[in-house]
Amino acid sequence: MDDVLFTGRPTDVCLRLPEPVDKATLRRLVSEAQTRLAAAGLRPDGAAALRLPPSLAYVVNLLATWRSGAQAVLLDHRLTDHEVDRALRRLTPQVVVAPVRTGGGALRIFVDVTEGITPYSDRPAGSPHAVIQLSSGSTGPSKVIGRTAEDLVGEVHRYTRIDGVALPGERIILLPSMVHVLGLVGGLLYGLHAGVELVPPERLSGDAILAAVAAQDTPATVLGVPFHIGLLASTTPPGPLPQLKRMTTGGELVPAAVARAFTDRYAVPLGNMYGMTEVGVIGTDLYGANCPAIAPAPGMRVRESDGELWVSCPASPYVGLADPTRWSDGWLHTRDAGTVDPETGLVTVKGRLDSQVSVGGMKVDLTEVEATVAELPGVGAAVVVWDDGITAYVQPDGPLSEETLDKLLAERLAGYKRPRTLHLLDQLPRTTTGKLVRSTAALRDAAS
Amino acid sequence: MAGQPDLGRADLVSMLAELTAKPVDQVPDRIGSMELAWLVHLVEQRYDRRMELSDDQLAGIRTVDDALAVFHHSLTAPADG
Repeated sequence: MDDVLFTGRPTDVCLRLPEPVDKATLRRLVSEAQTRLAAAGLRPDGAAALRLPPSLAYVVNLLATWRSGAQAVLLDHRLTDHEVDRALRRLTPQVVVAPVRTGGGALRIFVDVTEGITPYSDRPAGSPHAVIQLSSGSTGPSKVIGRTAEDLVGEVHRYTRIDGVALPGERIILLPSMVHVLGLVGGLLYGLHAGVELVPPERLSGDAILAAVAAQDTPATVLGVPFHIGLLASTTPPGPLPQLKRMTTGGELVPAAVARAFTDRYAVPLGNMYGMTEVGVIGTDLYGANCPAIAPAPGMRVRESDGELWVSCPASPYVGLADPTRWSDGWLHTRDAGTVDPETGLVTVKGRLDSQVSVGGMKVDLTEVEATVAELPGVGAAVVVWDDGITAYVQPDGPLSEETLDKLLAERLAGYKRPRTLHLLDQLPRTTTGKLVRSTAALRDAAS
Repeated sequence: MAGQPDLGRADLVSMLAELTAKPVDQVPDRIGSMELAWLVHLVEQRYDRRMELSDDQLAGIRTVDDALAVFHHSLTAPADG
């Protein structure tokens, strides 16, 4: 790991929070965290679950877990206790690292965290992967996705061969969470490897992003999701920003009007990336030249099979799941509809073939939301659909108010997964054979 | 800023409509962290000042009306805190 992530000089700044953290300091913090993790019971064959918001504590404990030879289980800090308990029972890490104190104010992108380490089990890790991530699942509980150290290193090297990424000595203004693949590999791991400074803005606002760009003279690439383009497009820069080199986003397609507003205002390329938790970056269009298509990243092969995009992936990334409709014979079935141009190889993604949606770049499977709503006390039946936002139609089987539903859901689902609109109906529309109707038009009619 | 700011519920709804590309009459009343960050950003742009909000204040915001109450409180506080 040191050969890949602790390259460069000890005095090289790797993080600006905004106080600079150099490689020597990071290495010392990681070494101290290794001692604490070992004292709490983490062994090289085990796993550490990190339930931390984006923070120096997260970076340090993640690297310390890997340097200990152990597996890191990444739990988004927005998950509820209910979701985390379920994940821990399934993954049985040896220790859990979670905040005992957080601070720094509202809308922070990087949080001040004092962490605590709690022993959880004495079992070895359930798989040989270096990192375990959870993805909202189509069967109710989350999918468990594992990636090996070799695969992560391969992705870091892939980034170094993509034209248009931040170069050594430059900066990445880091907006996506480092718990998820874009921020983790495209931000943290690539930055550490390539000698690119990682700069989380002081908080989530257009002004703060621009202030982070302006804080140093070196070229800066803003890495985010489409929501962040909107923030910048609606912010008036206080002056020229010659440092701003590019903005790159992943997670979902960018509406053309938002993209135009951004490029009109900043006159720098707006790049797009396509990737998945399972394999990392798949393709890019970092100059905005092929929009909305992307070119496969070096070493990635993409093909079209019956309208679905398949991506080369040597081994199944799913832990405890053998589903040939998701992975078979070295190909990940992305469940993204799309086409591959036979002449140019350019890939156009045309949306999901299943019930997964994207909320601010976070993937949410509506089946998980629906299963959670349907299991609540007082709910007889439920249908959850995407109607420009997660929308739940609920048939109570007893006294049930929207307020109670809200409260129960807040205990069970992370905020970004929760329905924005709830409709309580005496009877959900059903087909003549009694099946629940899922058409948004019919559901809207029933609710009106 | 003295007195009540001229920020109404309709302003927040139209800001959310801009984010979600929905007609104002279809903007949900519930808001999540992304919508909240968007509202804070646009309100700060509009008044050209930073609202000093705590984590607890933001955590208590579930609806457009909740947000309006917190923003009013923040905007009527002295600018120097």
